[in-house]
Amino acid sequence: MAEHSKSPRYGFLIDASLCIDCRSCMVACSVENKVSMDSTRIWIKETGITGNYPDLKRFTAPYHCMHCKDPSCVSACTVSALTRTDDGIVAYNKDICIGCRYCMYACPFEVPNYEWDERFPLVVKCDMCFSRLEEGQQPACAATCPTNAIRFGRYETMLAEAHRLITEHPDKYVQHVYGETENGGTATLYISPVPFEELGFPEAGTTSPAYSNRLVTEGTPMVAGAMLVGLSGTYLTIKHLKEEAAKERQEAEQTKASHTEEDGK
Amino acid sequence: MFRKLLHELRTMPKFVYLLVALTAFGLTVGVYRMYAGLGATTNLSKEFPWGIWISFDLATVALSGGAFTLAALVYVFQFEALHPAVRPTVLAGLLGYSSVLVILLFDLGRWDRFYNVFAHPNFSSALLEVSWCIAAYSTILFYELSPVLLEKSRWKWMLNVIKKYTIPIVIVGVTLSTMHQSSLGTMFVIMSPRLHPLWYSMLLPVFFLVSSFAAGISMIIAGATVSYWLFGRSLKRKTLATLSWFLPWILAFYLVLKFGELVIANETGGLLSSGRYSTLFWTELVVGAIIPIILFAYERVRYNRLASMLGAFLVMGGVILNRFDVTWFAMKSVSHQTYTPHWMEVAILVGVVSGLITVYTLVARYFPVYEETIAYKPSPREIIQPEDARLVSV
Repeated sequence: MAEHSKSPRYGFLIDASLCIDCRSCMVACSVENKVSMDSTRIWIKETGITGNYPDLKRFTAPYHCMHCKDPSCVSACTVSALTRTDDGIVAYNKDICIGCRYCMYACPFEVPNYEWDERFPLVVKCDMCFSRLEEGQQPACAATCPTNAIRFGRYETMLAEAHRLITEHPDKYVQHVYGETENGGTATLYISPVPFEELGFPEAGTTSPAYSNRLVTEGTPMVAGAMLVGLSGTYLTIKHLKEEAAKERQEAEQTKASHTEEDGK
Repeated sequence: MFRKLLHELRTMPKFVYLLVALTAFGLTVGVYRMYAGLGATTNLSKEFPWGIWISFDLATVALSGGAFTLAALVYVFQFEALHPAVRPTVLAGLLGYSSVLVILLFDLGRWDRFYNVFAHPNFSSALLEVSWCIAAYSTILFYELSPVLLEKSRWKWMLNVIKKYTIPIVIVGVTLSTMHQSSLGTMFVIMSPRLHPLWYSMLLPVFFLVSSFAAGISMIIAGATVSYWLFGRSLKRKTLATLSWFLPWILAFYLVLKFGELVIANETGGLLSSGRYSTLFWTELVVGAIIPIILFAYERVRYNRLASMLGAFLVMGGVILNRFDVTWFAMKSVSHQTYTPHWMEVAILVGVVSGLITVYTLVARYFPVYEETIAYKPSPREIIQPEDARLVSV
């Protein structure tokens, strides 16, 4: 279990106050990963228009895989197509996936999507632009964002920066870094001028559901072993008791028979 | 030979033709689904990646639970009086599992590499456990059924070998079933953010296991009664009454667990105030557990075929609704989207179910599935009996 709690190496810091809904991150993602605009691995969450005229407001934030420290999808995946790398990236192996879509239901952030229109579809999910990182480049969305709403770097740096911003501007930001504790902590961190529920972010607990899942699934071999022993024991016990009872009945009949014989004499 | 076949086709119950037509149509739509992808043929979406197929799979596995419940009762706990129920139940179980496997193949996005379940297993996944257990258990069910198919064939000599290993195989089978019936519940343990709290529980694996006992036994009772009217072949009322005697106990055990868990989890507030969800929850438990408990508590009901069948249908309905609730009706999404199945999803499902009933009917017609034949009325089936016997021995 140790590897699950390991802190991620890289992190995103996404500032909802800077997002202008230009969607260049989505275009960049589409180009980088060679996917259509309908199946980009990043999309926009928004509050909708709030307030009364003329004080209308609308906030948006780009949204993609949170790269959890203890990812539910990795725990759920039937065939270990989803894994968490040493750098804390939740990676997807498209050559193994069987398309059961359990990850989509398991993810508390409702992140994974599916290529619904393909004959042989795959899961659609951010991999932190793994190949770009290897070349020393930033993920496409972070490199493209014109307002610096998506920042990328060392996880510790991003977390410190998030806390610096919300403490220095308490009037501007909600006093919460979304992703610091959500689902046991994630590599993607958010700060926002409006409560996160209003942006449509799910309310997540501080422990990953993957933990409860492991509690049950890791106990399975033990339960199975115990059942094999218990059932065999039950079978042999009942068989033994039945045989004993039959023997006793037989003996009783024999003695009864011999008694009547003696009486006859 | 050809004339004999023609004669058989003519005497076949008419509903078999309808079932075959539905199966053919369903499978045609299924092939189209493989060609066109999931988007064009289903209403599945990002928010609802699983639909009516998964709900069906879970309900079917629960109803097929009769096979392992009965195997445990007859072989392990040695209730020999129940032995005549084993064959029809194992047959129904095997067909239930087969239909689940067929539906899963349509459901998998990458059905072309289903073997990765064995090549790249992830042992913390509940779905892996389910797939391994179902694969192994289907094989065991086939083993348990094989005497029915071999009895009158030239491979009769194998019967002794098969019988010799029945007990250990049955014990492994019961264990595998316990594992996957409960693992189907475990699958939803990871979905705490998605599943409504009236259903979500760490005890879901136990709920699923216990309700599968009840669903399985009810399926045996209902199946035997339907077969009584259709073929004049069934189980004795005494056998059925022995089986239904277990139902009130299992269901009451289930109720205590369900409500006890809600009390411990402090969710009792939602019992009445959750609108649609409260209605679904209470329907499940009143129709599927409370009324059947009362019904089957009466000896009169247990010995009456019609009343037993109605009671069994109630239990089955309750368990089916429970599986549909957990997989579909009680599943929430952040965007509050809903899901209604596409007609093609339903067509494929109807096709597979029709295929299942067809095979069951045919096997029950030509193989010695029901050992207890009950004189009911001279049905067409009994009139052609001598010819049947000849057919089988050929």
